[in-house]
Amino acid sequence: MEKSLNPVFSVSDFIAVANQTLEYAFPTVEIEGEVASFKVNQSKFVFFDIKDTGGSIGCFMTVWQMRVPIEDGMKVIISAVPKLTQWGKFSLTIKSIRPSGEGALKKSFELLKAKLDKEGLFAPERKRLLPRLPRHVAVISSTQAAGYVDFIKILNDRWGGIKVDVAHVQVQGSGAPDQIIKAIDYFNQQEQLPEVIVIVRGGGSADDLSTFNDELLVRAIAGSRVPTLLGVGHEIDESLSDMVADVRAATPSNAAQILVPDKQEIIRSVNNQIKALLPRILQIISQQKQIIRDNLMSAVNSVERSLNDQIWKINSLKNTLNQLNPEVILARGYALIRGKTSVGRVIEIETSKYIIGAEVKNVTEK
Amino acid sequence: MSQKNKSIQEKTDELSKLVSWFDSEDFSLELALDKFKQAEDLATEIEKDLSTLKNEINIVKQRFDSEN
Repeated sequence: MEKSLNPVFSVSDFIAVANQTLEYAFPTVEIEGEVASFKVNQSKFVFFDIKDTGGSIGCFMTVWQMRVPIEDGMKVIISAVPKLTQWGKFSLTIKSIRPSGEGALKKSFELLKAKLDKEGLFAPERKRLLPRLPRHVAVISSTQAAGYVDFIKILNDRWGGIKVDVAHVQVQGSGAPDQIIKAIDYFNQQEQLPEVIVIVRGGGSADDLSTFNDELLVRAIAGSRVPTLLGVGHEIDESLSDMVADVRAATPSNAAQILVPDKQEIIRSVNNQIKALLPRILQIISQQKQIIRDNLMSAVNSVERSLNDQIWKINSLKNTLNQLNPEVILARGYALIRGKTSVGRVIEIETSKYIIGAEVKNVTEK
Repeated sequence: MSQKNKSIQEKTDELSKLVSWFDSEDFSLELALDKFKQAEDLATEIEKDLSTLKNEINIVKQRFDSEN
């Protein structure tokens, strides 16, 4: 019998060699397909098949790797390591999984939204206010992204004197959620905590923005000790991270507008406050003058009244005195008699016009 | 605290307090001119601070990619 040139492997050696070959050829493979036969064992291990019309491959992962809800029929893209198991079954060990296509993204979004809502993560009472004029701000973004550039430009135009610490991270792609989470943790562990953490990213496709629907990222934002402000995408893009952040901005530029006031507006307002003071002082001076005038007028009136009273009293006394004047009594026809009224005595009679000498003829008792 | 070390927030709060004094029961014409001068100086200082202060932007050295 002719000796074969092919090597003879033991079964386990062949499995090891096959896995080495696979690892060399496909260290990591990305596959798009539909989820089927999805199940979770012992709340830890996830098994499902990824399939299309032409085939199906078994997949394995742990629940902790599942960053978004997955269910049967959902279209996904997996990043996985192909492996031949010791039982000779070919499977994919998943490193990451994300929904693919609008329908799957929406479905996953709705499932996670319902779950987090049930836990109360979006409750309005959890929302914290941002400081009015922060002095120390942390920014998480890609420093090359247009959204970051817009944010910094508007921030510098509007306000100054802020210490801005920037964590440069990926803001899209499979590594983005973990990088953003690490940056959130980093800022939360600083001895001098920033007053706000701002996460910014410009617009993008639904797939690009799906980073911000990652469950662990949403939970990291919710758990941040430092209040959070999120400015991701455009006005119409709403992610679960937006919903859980303390404040949501429509865009990165809007985040800068929310974070700080416009210094030009403050300068105008300060100057207007000062301008308004002068008319206020003049108005008060005018009011004071009016009060003094009124008081003076009232004093003059009071003195005049008192004077009139006194004049009236004097006139009244004068009249009384006048009535008592003997000349006046004589003028009314009376006469004044001087001398002893005995018969034969001469008396003096004074009228208003004459002084008469007369002799008393008789005296009779009345 | 000296006026120089005060933050813009503290200065604007102080200005608001000064301005509201003019509408308060404590208002007196004798003190008004002095208070007005203080408010005017503060406003000038706030405008100067706002026009000159720059933000200090630092990119943190820590790397956040998965390998670290």
